[in-house]
Amino acid sequence: MKFRAWLALVAGILPVILLAVVLFLAFYSEQAIHFNGWGFVVRNTWNLGNLYMDPITRHGFQVQPGATYGILFLIVGTLLSTFLALLFAVPVGIGAAIFLAEAIPSHLRTWISFFVELLMAIPSVVFGLWGYVVVIPFLSRHLFPLLAATLGRLIPFFAGPTGSGYSLLTASIVLALMIVPIIAATLRDALVSQPVSLREAALGLGATRFEALWKVILPGARKTLIGATFLALGRALGETMAVLMVSGNALNYLPHNIYDPISTMAAFIVSQLDSALQDPTGMAVRSLAEIAFVLAIISVIVNGLARLLLLVWNNGQRTAAV
Amino acid sequence: MSMKTGSSRRKTSVVLAATLAMGTMMVSHAALAQTRLLETGSSLLYPLFNLWVPVYGKSHPGVQITTQSTGSGTGISEAVSGIAQIGASDAYMSNAQIKMHPAILNIPLTISSQMINYNVPGLNGRHLRLSGPVLADMYSGQIRYWDAPAVRELNPGVRLPHKQIVLIHRTDGSGDTFIFSQYLSFSTPSWNNSVGYGTTISWPAVQGGIGAEGNPGMVNACKGTPYSIAYIGISFKQAIGKAGLGEAMLKNRAGRFVLPAPKTIGAAVRAMAAHTPADERISLVFAPGAESYPIINYEYAIVNANQDGKTAGAVKEFFSWALSHGNSPYFMKQVGFVPLPPAIVKLSEAQIAKIH
Repeated sequence: MKFRAWLALVAGILPVILLAVVLFLAFYSEQAIHFNGWGFVVRNTWNLGNLYMDPITRHGFQVQPGATYGILFLIVGTLLSTFLALLFAVPVGIGAAIFLAEAIPSHLRTWISFFVELLMAIPSVVFGLWGYVVVIPFLSRHLFPLLAATLGRLIPFFAGPTGSGYSLLTASIVLALMIVPIIAATLRDALVSQPVSLREAALGLGATRFEALWKVILPGARKTLIGATFLALGRALGETMAVLMVSGNALNYLPHNIYDPISTMAAFIVSQLDSALQDPTGMAVRSLAEIAFVLAIISVIVNGLARLLLLVWNNGQRTAAV
Repeated sequence: MSMKTGSSRRKTSVVLAATLAMGTMMVSHAALAQTRLLETGSSLLYPLFNLWVPVYGKSHPGVQITTQSTGSGTGISEAVSGIAQIGASDAYMSNAQIKMHPAILNIPLTISSQMINYNVPGLNGRHLRLSGPVLADMYSGQIRYWDAPAVRELNPGVRLPHKQIVLIHRTDGSGDTFIFSQYLSFSTPSWNNSVGYGTTISWPAVQGGIGAEGNPGMVNACKGTPYSIAYIGISFKQAIGKAGLGEAMLKNRAGRFVLPAPKTIGAAVRAMAAHTPADERISLVFAPGAESYPIINYEYAIVNANQDGKTAGAVKEFFSWALSHGNSPYFMKQVGFVPLPPAIVKLSEAQIAKIH
């Protein structure tokens, strides 16, 4: 009984912490929410105002003259980079999982799977540093001009100028590399743990090895795949350090093509905190907290939408089966 | 049974405590002898602190100074919060900040300047001529190409390429942003009215513009990005040379084009030093005088006047050393800084005397 009470307490702490964080953000940024209004999410200007003048009172709030807070460019940067990262990572992750589960000899399987899982444990700053030193020069000198000359002729978003290498595409590629192991490792486990009888039945019915995998084994692991994609999505939305180092930290403008610099909400909070602390009125820091609040809301919405999609899809499958 | 485990546990804890005590004794022996100071902030001042600290440490073994390059914004905020004993900043604090934190002193330790650097393949060997208004037009997106008429007009006879300018600015709160935006504000009324100056400013939205962290980040971004332009502290001149970047001649208030050098920086100092108030918070940017280089500044130590007894002594002693030995040509030459004139040294000493 005592043990059970302890467990309940420990388990209860988690939702309480989540609630406490969200409530803290809401309370702390309340003034900023009132001052910024809905314009916060549709304006494209982040301006602390003139920090070397005396604070003024505007709409009943003490702010620096000229202060305007708008984060549309951050929302767009966050969603675009996450979307592209998932677009790259999901197919690669599925391919890697299939390879790990099916194609390599069993005595190597444990070792290679171990390395994929190790990849998950690498701190994001290492990815950032590698992106900064290796990926950016390679992309800006070789891949970007090539992409602009080929894909760029068909799709305007891929057309030049190819810029500096600090870009939406670079951030997405680095993010994708960080989340591929999450998808690959989780899905591989699910594939391996599918009952052998399923495969045997499929093969017995005359399916090829590929057909058995594609039509029987993989659909069985669908829920795991979607779960892993959620995890990856969460990581990509909130990733800070790696994005800070390779995105180019664009300020106040939206990307016109895939080679333009961007910034994301999480990276922006880190890079601007010190500057915001210079604001004697405190409105800048509260507005940063509002960004965190918006990020939390967006994460909930995106996750909710994904779950809804899953629900609708599952129902559709069931009716189709009937 | 429980007695037994209890006593054995006690034994273990006694042994543990003894080991710990021995460990702390050894540590405290070293700690007794040493006062620790943390310096953090300006990446422009960082190379100088890196030269100062080993030399100072040799003659003052009782003090251990740790230096960090984190940007002037962090320097100010960590000196205010008390995390760092010495905050380094290229920018002085605003009136509103001083009102909030009246015990914080802004003490100049030396004089620095800023270069405008660019990476225009084929032209990095020559000093392109640029002016405040042209730079303001670039950074506000009105001049988008290197061969724009306004740039050509300043550089007759130079074959400028028809390539888009990539603007690089600092992401972190930065004294370099402060003095660069002051140059633009003081020389260009439209910039002053729309953007103004500060350690962080709202950069006009120009497609392709990059944000970089610290002076090292600026050098790296400029080096890796053809047709880019950046503002970089003079203490990174060697790094600029290694990276093969160009250095612009800037138009001063008298209308002449000058490079940052001891002579041109000295001329600007002579024009401005006499106006320095007792709290030493003043901009030296865009000084009058035919020879004056337009972007120079005091390098500030941001210090809380109220320190612990031992720390106060150590901080004061270090500052006195920095103002005398630290301003010697041996150090100044290596980072391209200029020593404080005697009148300013006196003002700084008067402020140092307030630390207790």
